[in-house]
Amino acid sequence: MKKFLALLLALTMVLSLCACTTTGGDETDGSTSGTESTESTGGTDTSVSYTYTDSVSTLASNWNIHTYQTSDDAYPIDTAGIVMGLYTFVFNDELHPVDGLEPYEGYAIIPEMAAEMPVDITEQVKEEHPEYGIPESATEGYAYSIALNPNATWDDGTPINADTYVESMERLLRAELLNYRATDYYSGSLSIAGAEEYANSGLSTYKDNDDADANPTYTLEDLVLGADGQYTDPDGNLAYLAVNYAVNWLGGYSITDYVDAYGDAYFDTTNWEALTALVDDDGVVPLTDDNLALFSSVVATEAWAETADTMYNYVVYAVSYAEVSFDTVGIYKTDEYEIVLVLDKALTGFNLYYALTGNWIVKIDLYDECLSETDGVWTSTYCTSVETTPSCGPYVMTSYQADKAMHFAKNENWYGYTDGLHVYVDPVDGQTYDMYMTTEIDCQVVSEAATRKMMFLSGELMTYGLQSDDFDEYRNSEYCYASPADTIFFLIVNGDLDMLQAREAAADFDQTTSDLETITLLNFRKALALFIDKDNLASTVSPARSAAYGIVGNTYICDPDTGLTYRETDQAKQVLCDFYSVDVSEYASLDDAVNSITGYDLEKAKEYFALAFQDALDAGYITDTDGDGICDQSITLEYSMSSDSDFMTQTIDYLNEKLAEATSGTPFEGKVSITKSAPYGNDWSTKIKNGESDCVLAGWTGSRMNPYGLTDLYVNPSYAYDGGWFDATTVTLTLTVPVDGVDTTLTMTMWEWSDALNGTTVTVDGVEYNFGSGIADMDTRLTILAAIEGAVLQTYDYLPMMQDSSRFLLSQKAFYVVEEYNGVMGRGGIQYMRYNYNDTEWTEYVASQGGTLQY
Amino acid sequence: MLKYTLQRILYMLLVLFIITLMCFVLIRMLPQTVLPAGDPHTAIVEARREALGYNKPYLVQFGIFMKNVLTKFDWGVSEVLYFGQDVLTVFLDKLPATVIVNLYSIIFTIPIGIGLGVFAALKKNTWIDYLISTLTMVVISVPSFVYAFVIQYVFCYKLQWFPFLMKSGTDWFSPSMIWSMIPAVMSLGFGVIAGFTRTTRAELTEVLTSEFMLLARTKGLTKAQATIRHALRNCFVVIVPSIFGEFVGILGGSLIIERIFSIPGVGSLTINAINGQDYPMFMLTTVFYTAVGLAAGLVVDISYGFIDPRIRMGSKK
Repeated sequence: MKKFLALLLALTMVLSLCACTTTGGDETDGSTSGTESTESTGGTDTSVSYTYTDSVSTLASNWNIHTYQTSDDAYPIDTAGIVMGLYTFVFNDELHPVDGLEPYEGYAIIPEMAAEMPVDITEQVKEEHPEYGIPESATEGYAYSIALNPNATWDDGTPINADTYVESMERLLRAELLNYRATDYYSGSLSIAGAEEYANSGLSTYKDNDDADANPTYTLEDLVLGADGQYTDPDGNLAYLAVNYAVNWLGGYSITDYVDAYGDAYFDTTNWEALTALVDDDGVVPLTDDNLALFSSVVATEAWAETADTMYNYVVYAVSYAEVSFDTVGIYKTDEYEIVLVLDKALTGFNLYYALTGNWIVKIDLYDECLSETDGVWTSTYCTSVETTPSCGPYVMTSYQADKAMHFAKNENWYGYTDGLHVYVDPVDGQTYDMYMTTEIDCQVVSEAATRKMMFLSGELMTYGLQSDDFDEYRNSEYCYASPADTIFFLIVNGDLDMLQAREAAADFDQTTSDLETITLLNFRKALALFIDKDNLASTVSPARSAAYGIVGNTYICDPDTGLTYRETDQAKQVLCDFYSVDVSEYASLDDAVNSITGYDLEKAKEYFALAFQDALDAGYITDTDGDGICDQSITLEYSMSSDSDFMTQTIDYLNEKLAEATSGTPFEGKVSITKSAPYGNDWSTKIKNGESDCVLAGWTGSRMNPYGLTDLYVNPSYAYDGGWFDATTVTLTLTVPVDGVDTTLTMTMWEWSDALNGTTVTVDGVEYNFGSGIADMDTRLTILAAIEGAVLQTYDYLPMMQDSSRFLLSQKAFYVVEEYNGVMGRGGIQYMRYNYNDTEWTEYVASQGGTLQY
Repeated sequence: MLKYTLQRILYMLLVLFIITLMCFVLIRMLPQTVLPAGDPHTAIVEARREALGYNKPYLVQFGIFMKNVLTKFDWGVSEVLYFGQDVLTVFLDKLPATVIVNLYSIIFTIPIGIGLGVFAALKKNTWIDYLISTLTMVVISVPSFVYAFVIQYVFCYKLQWFPFLMKSGTDWFSPSMIWSMIPAVMSLGFGVIAGFTRTTRAELTEVLTSEFMLLARTKGLTKAQATIRHALRNCFVVIVPSIFGEFVGILGGSLIIERIFSIPGVGSLTINAINGQDYPMFMLTTVFYTAVGLAAGLVVDISYGFIDPRIRMGSKK
């Protein structure tokens, strides 16, 4: 026992000694949090330090601009700005005026890492560099000369010049590195000439048989039969059947996944073993007549709803890229501080500037040091620690501890602090202020919302995202801000009659007491569209969100030059008034009319339920054997749930409560309800698509700057949430639109209208039409977009419910120079944030409030 | 004893190998994250998967994995959380935080737990014993993360005695770091204190009624002398091995506590690896926890022989 006590005493002494030591381990990783960190910023007067204390659930782990994948990883780039774009957004003010807009109504784009706006030199490059393949007919939009900012340096003073840009692009696109971000410079709107070929130089891969709009590139008739019996595409690439190879057509799954999951329920598996025996290591089978027949015998079934003619959906092409040098890529240096970008498709105006608000530069020597290769797989430690993170922006990383915290301080070598250009005029007092008042950014991992809230109320965090429980207390706070998001959540109800009938045919389904087919009836769906007060739904189950009435959200900007959103246009307002039967003439203005829409009409919902009852009786879906006017069957819709949660319980309880109200006094009184599914995980959408589950609240998100692109999500069958939805390839829409200055009445399918709106040339009666960006005027495009929205709403396959949004509290320590949310600028972020207190004053203020602040 | 120890180590390695094989195959059988259809980045991710050997048969993959581990101690590179980084380096960066917090918890809990147990045993069947025993049962029944939230609310928010989160940095033994760890240590420790209290009380109660204790008292030893010299020593045959068991238990409990107090340790890494489907990282943390559990069992078994020389492990008689 003495020995034990002696040991305990010794241990205590050792710990006490250790506790008295002042060496803080790794100094670099040491200090971070809150006001303490200001003490470590050498040379900075702590009395005027303004620290932005932030929290995240997941800390960035790889912010290499060539490889980062998630928004969490983008934090050092987007929030702390360690890499600035060639161009940047600023609010429009007296210093950055925009014609026709009051200050702070919109935004302006100005040079940042560039010295001037890009100069179009298409004609010159076309003549001097034919190797880039600029079309003969092109006169603009293909080549730009960009003068670089000569004051830009890395934080250690290393100059950033044209070589930096060219060599960085070479590394970004180097095929062996397989950089995740490489495709950003050839697959999107900014497509640099030769970039795709160099990025894939010497590689072989399989290419799906679809284009960017999910249309088949080739049908089976287009393919060419080779001498060896294998088909090729018209370009000579060998064609294969993707048996155990994921294809876009199946949403990233392979047909093997589906056959394994559903077997004989959907497929004829007689020849399945014979087919799989032919599959090679890549999961594909050469496309020959025999193999196609074998494949078709399995997949082209009635249950799977495909025929032998549509087997092109499963065809992939082996594509081999030739070895090419970087000289073929459309970027080169013309001066110490000037580069030329050559594109392989035209890009002009706002879209060009917007694409160049990003950047690809890396600090070359450090980047190369961080690369390593093992068994042919290249990895990099660039931008994974303080030592490997250079900065060319306003802040530089000063400490980083994985999964814990990161800290940024002012980059004293950033040109923006001294160039006199990073200033703005305050909209309230008219004074001119420097941007980036924040001197330090401290970001910690705080996983639990409860902890974040306590820290915020104790003055340790600058913002706090409200949770459901907080809304009653804080939603009316003067410090509460709402930020709309891009997703519209709509109620999806199973419309796959075949699948519902198959489920009813199952042995354990009693058709005398239950029914599912009725939910496919239009009148039943119309009732579902009206039975919920959407404002009340949002405030009850998800208070941060708001009611939604259309399928395009209120954040989508249709005019990038002015920041005008689609929902603000007359076309968008009118289409909602039409759908919700609002007579505009009864209101003083279109705005008043659209503001009157609630989307909620209980009496009309009851009428539709009564009509649906009659329709269902006529169709033989339900019975009323005792003639009491009440449906004999109960209709129980399964809500497809990824995982159970309080939100799910609350939502389903709410829907059931409102269903009970809406069906009260109708033939469906007490007969319609919603029940939770098992937690399906990621399969929830598959269950909906296959008609195995009946309803869900889900939504689409598109590009905020391109509302027109959203139409594809609603008319392209590959995006349909279930097999029973309207077929946009057959539903037609007739519109009168100006074509070559003449109003023309055109009838096209919904899909064709969508394609034409998004830049694909569509032929109608031998005449080609294209209403894409830069081809048709904005008014025409808005007319088409609104018409498609109206037509989609009329299908009642999408019942808009909620507009996604978030609400948060901003600390009393700081304020935004603008209160209104701007779709592009938000409220200005770190760039425009102003402080009421510096760090020292803030500590004193919080203490004076007893350590807990009131919001 | 040496032979027995070697034998147990060999068995442990065999079990570790089998568990590793099972985990590896099961993890690789899990569906890989479905890549968004039409996403241009898909080709690059697929090419990386190909390069990393995901399309080879499972046993071939396992062979490559074991070869890399045994010859280069290479556990692969992270595919999601720390994209492209060596998982072992990331893991080792995080190990100290977990070990330190758990070590502090053990140091904090042993004297209190044993002390309360002794006190309860000596006051057997009095209100003090009933109070300690009842509290012990209550505390054992409540998971550690519940204490975490209560401690955070009371001591960090209301009383403002401690910071909400563990301090950043690697100065594990600095006063500010130790101070910031106290809420986490308390959260982890309450249940363990209750465990030690219960074990000590039960053992000591039994020993105190033994005949040799009566003999010791009749020899003239005071109650305190008899308890410390004879009763407690006998109890340690059970208590000391339980310390190792509790250490493993605390490691398990710290999975959640690390998240709540933002401790950058192996526990939160494991949870993130599961959520993020970062299989190489998950594999390494799984092997770590398995190895710790097996090693703790081995140490417990071997420790019996050292604590009580009458116990001879592996003896045929």
